[in-house]
Amino acid sequence: MASKFWTQGGSDTEEEETDIEDEIENGGAGETTAAAAGSRYLQTNASDSDDSDGQKRVVRSAKDKRFEEMASTVDQMKNAMKINDWVSLQESFDKINKQLEKVMRVTESDRVPNLYIKCLVMLEDFLAEALANKEAKKKMSSSNHKALNAMKQKLKKNNKQYEELINKYRENPESEEEKFEDEDEDEDEDESGSELEDPSQIAAESSDEDDEGEDVDDDDANGAWEKKLSKKEKLMDREFKKDPSEITWDTVNKKFKEVVAARGRKGTGKFEQVEQLTFLTKVAKTPAQKLEIFFSVISAQFDVNPGLSGHMPINVWKKCVQNMLVILDILVQYPNIVVDDMVEPDENETQKGADYDGTIRVWGNLVAFLERIDNEFFKSLQCIDPHTREYVERLRDEPLFLVLAQNVQEYLERIGDLKSAAKVALRRVELVYYKPQEVYDAMRQLAVLSEDGEKDGDETKVEETRGTSAFVVTPELVSRKLTFPENSRALMDILVTLIYKSGDERTKARAMLCDIYHHALFDEFSIARDLLLMSHLQDTIQHMDVSTQILFNRAMAQVGLCAFRVGLIAEGHGCLSELYSGGRVKELLAQGVSQSRYHEKTPEQERLERRRQMPYHMHINLELLEAVHLICAMLLEVPNMAANSLDAKRKVISKTFRRLLEVSERQPFTGPPENVRDHVMAATRALCKGDFQKAFDVINSLDVWKLLRNRESVLEMLKAKIKEEALRTYLFTYCSSYDTLGLDQLTKMFDLSDAQIHSIVSKMLVNEELHASWDQPTRCIIFHDVEYSRLQALAFQLTEKLSILAESNERAVEARFGGGGLDLPLRRRDNQEYAAGTAGGGGGRWPDLSYNQGRQGSSGRAAYTGGGRPLALGQASRDRSSQSRGTGGYSGRAGSGMRGYQMDASARMVSLNRGVRG
Amino acid sequence: MATYDLTPRIGPNLDRHLVFPLLEFLQERQLYPDEQILKAKIELLNKTNMVDYAMDIHKSLYRTDDVPQDMVDRRVEVVARLKALEDAAAPLVTFLQNPNAVQELRADKQYNLQMLNDRYQIGPDQIEALYQYAKFQFECGNYSGAADYLYQYRALCTNSERSLSALWGKLAAEILMQNWDIALEELNRLKEIIDSKSFSSPLNQVQSRIWLMHWSLFIFFNHDNGRTQIIDLFNQDKYLNAIQTSAPHLLRYLATAFIVNKRRRPQFKEFIKVIQQDQCSYKDPITEFLACVYVNYEFDGAQKKMKECEEVILNDPFLGKRVEEGNFSTVPLKDEFLENARLFIFETYCRIHQRIDMGVLFEKLNLNYEEGERWIVNLIRNSKLDAKIDSETGTVIMEPNQPNVYEQLIDHTKALQGRTYKLVGQLLEPAQAQPAR
Repeated sequence: MASKFWTQGGSDTEEEETDIEDEIENGGAGETTAAAAGSRYLQTNASDSDDSDGQKRVVRSAKDKRFEEMASTVDQMKNAMKINDWVSLQESFDKINKQLEKVMRVTESDRVPNLYIKCLVMLEDFLAEALANKEAKKKMSSSNHKALNAMKQKLKKNNKQYEELINKYRENPESEEEKFEDEDEDEDEDESGSELEDPSQIAAESSDEDDEGEDVDDDDANGAWEKKLSKKEKLMDREFKKDPSEITWDTVNKKFKEVVAARGRKGTGKFEQVEQLTFLTKVAKTPAQKLEIFFSVISAQFDVNPGLSGHMPINVWKKCVQNMLVILDILVQYPNIVVDDMVEPDENETQKGADYDGTIRVWGNLVAFLERIDNEFFKSLQCIDPHTREYVERLRDEPLFLVLAQNVQEYLERIGDLKSAAKVALRRVELVYYKPQEVYDAMRQLAVLSEDGEKDGDETKVEETRGTSAFVVTPELVSRKLTFPENSRALMDILVTLIYKSGDERTKARAMLCDIYHHALFDEFSIARDLLLMSHLQDTIQHMDVSTQILFNRAMAQVGLCAFRVGLIAEGHGCLSELYSGGRVKELLAQGVSQSRYHEKTPEQERLERRRQMPYHMHINLELLEAVHLICAMLLEVPNMAANSLDAKRKVISKTFRRLLEVSERQPFTGPPENVRDHVMAATRALCKGDFQKAFDVINSLDVWKLLRNRESVLEMLKAKIKEEALRTYLFTYCSSYDTLGLDQLTKMFDLSDAQIHSIVSKMLVNEELHASWDQPTRCIIFHDVEYSRLQALAFQLTEKLSILAESNERAVEARFGGGGLDLPLRRRDNQEYAAGTAGGGGGRWPDLSYNQGRQGSSGRAAYTGGGRPLALGQASRDRSSQSRGTGGYSGRAGSGMRGYQMDASARMVSLNRGVRG
Repeated sequence: MATYDLTPRIGPNLDRHLVFPLLEFLQERQLYPDEQILKAKIELLNKTNMVDYAMDIHKSLYRTDDVPQDMVDRRVEVVARLKALEDAAAPLVTFLQNPNAVQELRADKQYNLQMLNDRYQIGPDQIEALYQYAKFQFECGNYSGAADYLYQYRALCTNSERSLSALWGKLAAEILMQNWDIALEELNRLKEIIDSKSFSSPLNQVQSRIWLMHWSLFIFFNHDNGRTQIIDLFNQDKYLNAIQTSAPHLLRYLATAFIVNKRRRPQFKEFIKVIQQDQCSYKDPITEFLACVYVNYEFDGAQKKMKECEEVILNDPFLGKRVEEGNFSTVPLKDEFLENARLFIFETYCRIHQRIDMGVLFEKLNLNYEEGERWIVNLIRNSKLDAKIDSETGTVIMEPNQPNVYEQLIDHTKALQGRTYKLVGQLLEPAQAQPAR
């Protein structure tokens, strides 16, 4: 008998333990558990019983191995207890927790192995004892004492998770399947625990013998599966099975109340409760009652999920969705039933039968359930490793949810609850908005495919329901089929319109962001931009919750990508530069955790951050994003650098890009480009010399381009842009070396047509970037020499400084006296108008069309800068100063102290956007 | 050329009655088959009370003397309703037609209402009836009557919503009667109300603005001073926003107004940016012309567009207004537009060139050599152009206009003095005020 071996091992390892002995012992102990574990599984499989062979087996399954390890750890703990060694006890405890994870993963069950629970109980008792014994405590060494205290904390926290199981165990140490093993261990414990003298254990043991007897009586005839059902359930089953005609509403109601009352109480199994309730739904007498019970079923199913971080088991989730559909069936079948969570319904409301005419109120909240289901789905995608098949499988459940959401929304619309319908619509929008047309099509196909499979499943389900004599038969009224428009835009339009009409603030904001994202995804830059500017989201986003801010960042990133794809470099840069300015892109887009060197995160923060991560399939490719950002910056910055190379206070367009360039220039030796950054830097070096071909080749060799749908045209556009900027850079850099420059030569050098070159150069001439003019008859550019003498240059600098001085004086006076009397009032008034516009827009309505500020957002980065700010998640205080600078300009919320800045921001915006203001 | 016809886009923003002039114009220009236009007219008239007119059109369209039964029925119905409304409004109408009685009215609205109620037994019901009656008159095409009644209704009405509707009605009636001066007054009144009134949703406000701008097109392109005023109205931020978001086709009119109006340069630059930005949402030859000249500097393109512009202007009901002078009928706006457009091209061209071949230039400007040379000489003589003609090589040579360094310095510093002076004044002001107290 294995147990004997183990017992021996367990009992005589007190003092002189050599390593070898230990090993043997461990091995032995391991094998016994292996046997035990094996037997357990065999028992459930009911194939054959070779528990006695366990010892001889050499090849063990992974499961067995894990159990073995665990058992050995338990053993170690026991040893540690005996010598009162808290330090090693603590170590072992950590170890067993880790092993537990492994075991759970291997067995793929949600049940914590009994062994573990037993260990916890043991520890708890030992701890209680140790704490009670004050003298011994005093005697302890300091490290030991510390460990004791640490252990106390840990155990308390850990045990909370398993509280129920522990309690159950305490009540009934021998749970059904593990009699065999338990007996052994109990014996074992008795021996080892002889010093501990735990009366409760003994009591428990004696009581559990009775239990066991009952158990055996009860269900020896039943199959292994049956064992899972609790006694209570079976009793109930029997009670109801006896005579269906005897069951009345009252009995069901009583039972229902009983079960519900047990919820959350110690000793109530979560799964059990679900099953009991599910059974009750079958025997419910009236539709209303059935509905009520169904609501409880779903609540109970939500309870199954233990913590905030974990996700609901997938099969439970699926059942949950099915239950929701049945609820809808009932609601559709009996339109007089009203679901409401505001009023406490009458006690006997559900007694009213199907033929009752008036409205029946049932407590429940469809939207809340639906949102919870969606959250669980989202969470499960967060948790599952995206590179596994499981993830893909999980993604396939999405149509299932969409069907449900669609039906709930339809129902809500029918009963006129548009506000809730909008909420549901938002959930649907959030599942669709990030999908490109291809993915959307794939999902539609999947929905059509799975429809057949689903049908089968449903049918069996219905039969099952009938088989167990459901009193209230619910036909499937609600369609289980997904009705999708051809094109995702159409779907978005329908949903978004509904939300704009009747959603609340947050729902609208989110829908707007999704809408923007979706438009951007489909290369509709101008629409996306208009929506963004009209909604004033950039001003209000700071005051919204983090997940909305993330959505905003995602939308901004996507708008940036879109601008790039359609060839609007400056706009693309405007959208993306804020995102990259802090170096925390990953965090801002919730696509991974970035470790900051200077800012240590607390575990709490980290957990929060982990919880808001985007699932993998929603990610925006970071490499592509970086490439686009850097290329945009390059195209803007290189000519800018060339133009202002001699200027002392040169204005910088992209600080990030400049920094990178400096770093790469400082390198003594440049290797071939490896990552995105290297590529862009190599291209920059070529572009600085005006070598467009090389620059383009380097950029072209990036492999992120294959992620683009219209790759050819984008690269074509990019090439044209590079040529143009190369020409500009060349002219800026070498204009001092030329007196005249022929158009033909330029045409040859830059592979551009005459008209293009003429247009580009003319633009530069008009903007006075280049001091030159055309000579038409000879088709060349004549450069004018405008070199100031040193004195003249200094004089100019002086005047500039003077005007700055005057300006700051004015600001100072204005800050002192409020209303300025100079040219400021005019601008200030504008400012207030902005503020009013903002307040109006932020106050109530989204599709507010009177967007005053940043109308020409496309021409100015400033319009976007305000919006970029909220990116500081969870570190608001650090970024406060710069934040308020960003908002101050628009909202005027900043106090008088900020007025200077405020002016600054608005002035900058004006100058960028409008040129001269009339 | 029907591609650039804006009637389908403008139509929805106009009153039914206001669309008639547009259709008339289209019929005249024969852009569309006659039949189609006549059908459209009947369609329009169906919802109005001008049944007789509809009948006439029906006859000419189908060349019959028969009229469908529903039209006849409708006529009877309309007449009956007219009678009923007339009766309802009769007391007030008779009161208003009595000059002696009208003199009793004072500026005080409350007093008037009280007085009417006490002495003439005219209560809110009758006043309401007057509004209905006026509306019905308008529907029947009796605009002058409608305008009169609405004017009087406004004097008596207390409901602001109704008053607003009455104002819209009055504006439409005045436009249709072509009383441009009065219409302009009404327009400004309406604009003030729209801007100051708090609308339930910004969307409504924007919509009102859009309507107002569409209706104003009638006035601005007929009123003498309209071309300046259209810029004043349309180029306001709020209105420009409305245009950009909801009715980008109005950019055509604003662009035209800017081109023919030389004194609006500062705003013009801004407007170019708007044009540039809205290229994706709306473009026609006129906006494209501006984009060519001021955004892309493509002079060949600009020249091509200029030719297209001519067509567009001729076919636009507002821009292509004809003036009969003796036997000629000219479109004054077209000539003006072309002249200015040419000047635009030339100006920009000169800015970036040092030497221009006149032959090429005149080709771009659609001028022949002689004419062109005269034109340039005139420009130089009027000192609009700092250049010389080199007739041997046939070129114009620009005088290089390098700004003098000293002038620049003076320019930069000139304003500083004034600003500082003001600043000091401002600082001293409270200081002086304090000892006085």
